Amino acid sequence: MANTVNVNVHHVTRIEGHGNIVVNATDGKIEKVEWQVPEAPRFFEAMVRGRSYEDIQTIVSRICGICSITHSLASTKAVENAMGIEVSEQADMVRILMHYSEQLQSHVLHVGYLVSPDLFGLPSVVPLAAKAPEVVLAVIRLHRLANEWSDLIAGRTTHPVTLTPGGLTKFPTEKELRNLQERLKGCVGDLTAVAEAVLSVAGNIPDFTRETEYVSLKQDHPPTYTFYHGDITSTDYDGTVAINDWQTVANEYVSDQSTAKWTKWNRPSYTVGALARFNNNGQLLSPMAKDVAKTFGLEMGCCNPFMNNVAQLVEAVHVVETSIAMIDELLTKGIKPEKVKVTPKAGKASGCVEAPRGILFHEYEFDSKGNCVGADICIPTNQNHAAIQEDFEKFVPEILDEGEDAIRLKMEMLVRSYDPCVSCSTHMLDVQFTK
Amino acid sequence: MKKATVVLGLGNPLMADEGIGVHLIERLTEVAQRCPDVDFVDAGTGGMSVLHLIEGRRKAVFIDCAFMDEAAGTLRRFTPDEVRSRKVLAHQSLHEADLLKILVLAEQLGQCPEEVVIFGIQPEAVEMRQGLSASLSEQTEAYLAQILAELGV
Repeated sequence: MANTVNVNVHHVTRIEGHGNIVVNATDGKIEKVEWQVPEAPRFFEAMVRGRSYEDIQTIVSRICGICSITHSLASTKAVENAMGIEVSEQADMVRILMHYSEQLQSHVLHVGYLVSPDLFGLPSVVPLAAKAPEVVLAVIRLHRLANEWSDLIAGRTTHPVTLTPGGLTKFPTEKELRNLQERLKGCVGDLTAVAEAVLSVAGNIPDFTRETEYVSLKQDHPPTYTFYHGDITSTDYDGTVAINDWQTVANEYVSDQSTAKWTKWNRPSYTVGALARFNNNGQLLSPMAKDVAKTFGLEMGCCNPFMNNVAQLVEAVHVVETSIAMIDELLTKGIKPEKVKVTPKAGKASGCVEAPRGILFHEYEFDSKGNCVGADICIPTNQNHAAIQEDFEKFVPEILDEGEDAIRLKMEMLVRSYDPCVSCSTHMLDVQFTK
Repeated sequence: MKKATVVLGLGNPLMADEGIGVHLIERLTEVAQRCPDVDFVDAGTGGMSVLHLIEGRRKAVFIDCAFMDEAAGTLRRFTPDEVRSRKVLAHQSLHEADLLKILVLAEQLGQCPEEVVIFGIQPEAVEMRQGLSASLSEQTEAYLAQILAELGV
């Protein structure tokens, strides 16, 4: 029957969470369109209660294997804000370098391993590696470089160990920084190759637009395309909101179709992530990143969620170009040894950074001994759920006559475009013996 | 310089027995001097990063929590070709990972070590808490002995 559609993408696994996609339509009449998030809630906040301020970062770094540096930085900044701890300019710059390594790591992995197969019309990266091995190898080289960059500055590829309230326990040497800088300069060819490969199939990026509020950090002093400093802004909001007031932005609420909390600010939903940062701060990108955006026709004000992945490519170029310049600055000033001394005190404050997939809020309260008495974490993926639902409601009527398979694929592509974090806390094997 | 063998502990210590790989790597690191040609790595839940940690090695040994239809606490040593993965990936997120599929990709790219061994340990509980269940913690020494035997110690 024409335009009778039943799409039910359910992923039943033992522990790892996934979103479900449900579409029911009869004779062209849509009865149900839902983005359901049945993931078991993860109460990491409860795990940090009673723990010392010194232990918080180690625990929260395990929330996620992809954004472990981001969670570590958000929590460390919150501790510093709560206790009034100062951080040196040198430590601040090295932390930003650390954070950039994770942006590159996550963005190339997402665009290369998850999004590119869609654009090339393939089910996963494995057949892509057979069809376009040079592209996959370039992605892997970039990912490897980003991992080794994290390793150098964070002390480990995932779950960093060099961060501490007040600074860092270990700084890279000037020789290590020079070596890293050379490698970053050398990876521009691979970045360009990946961007060209994606551009060659960019015609397969769905043409879909929905007027959207985009929320991200904004830094005015000095004006920076920021992932780390600044306050909160949106494309609907003239000005900024202080980090400690993030709850007035997120306005978390419970939706019947999800176990995860949803958020809204000036509209029924808002979006966070690379496209949000681009829409709020795009004029501050590095020159080469601006060129890449231009090649793809990506302009500020873009409301096509699929273009988030192009914005991720643009940001991958930006963090590499910016890091090369930052290392020059660090080397000019010279790396000086630092000793961090912290006296714990009572306080409550928030810390905020941009995860690769969007703005992340951590809030903690400590007693006078520095033990945690309260915590609240608001992750970017939860901030995107309501927007995904609204996208579905507008997108499905536009593609309803394309057949169930095409609808299912395009809706999965839409979810992927947000680069969601829905299953990162566990990675166990599930096997059957065949021999 | 990368050492010929790498031992990777996978999992999340905030999820009870899911963290067995990380717990055992911590213990193995304490005796690392007995294995001069082996790197011990806490790979946590880094997913695809495994690809880079095994590249250029002769042998990779994984320690991970594994559903294998065995009694809780059972350790089984196997190679990738002895099992079939029952995991269904939604391909929605970078955050999901299947070690066996990562190994297929590594093989395809010519970056897989010639020898891959997996020590799977059947969990008693995978839930939000720190620390192992009794059926695993009671056998920690036995697990370590088996893994060290694999390394020739």
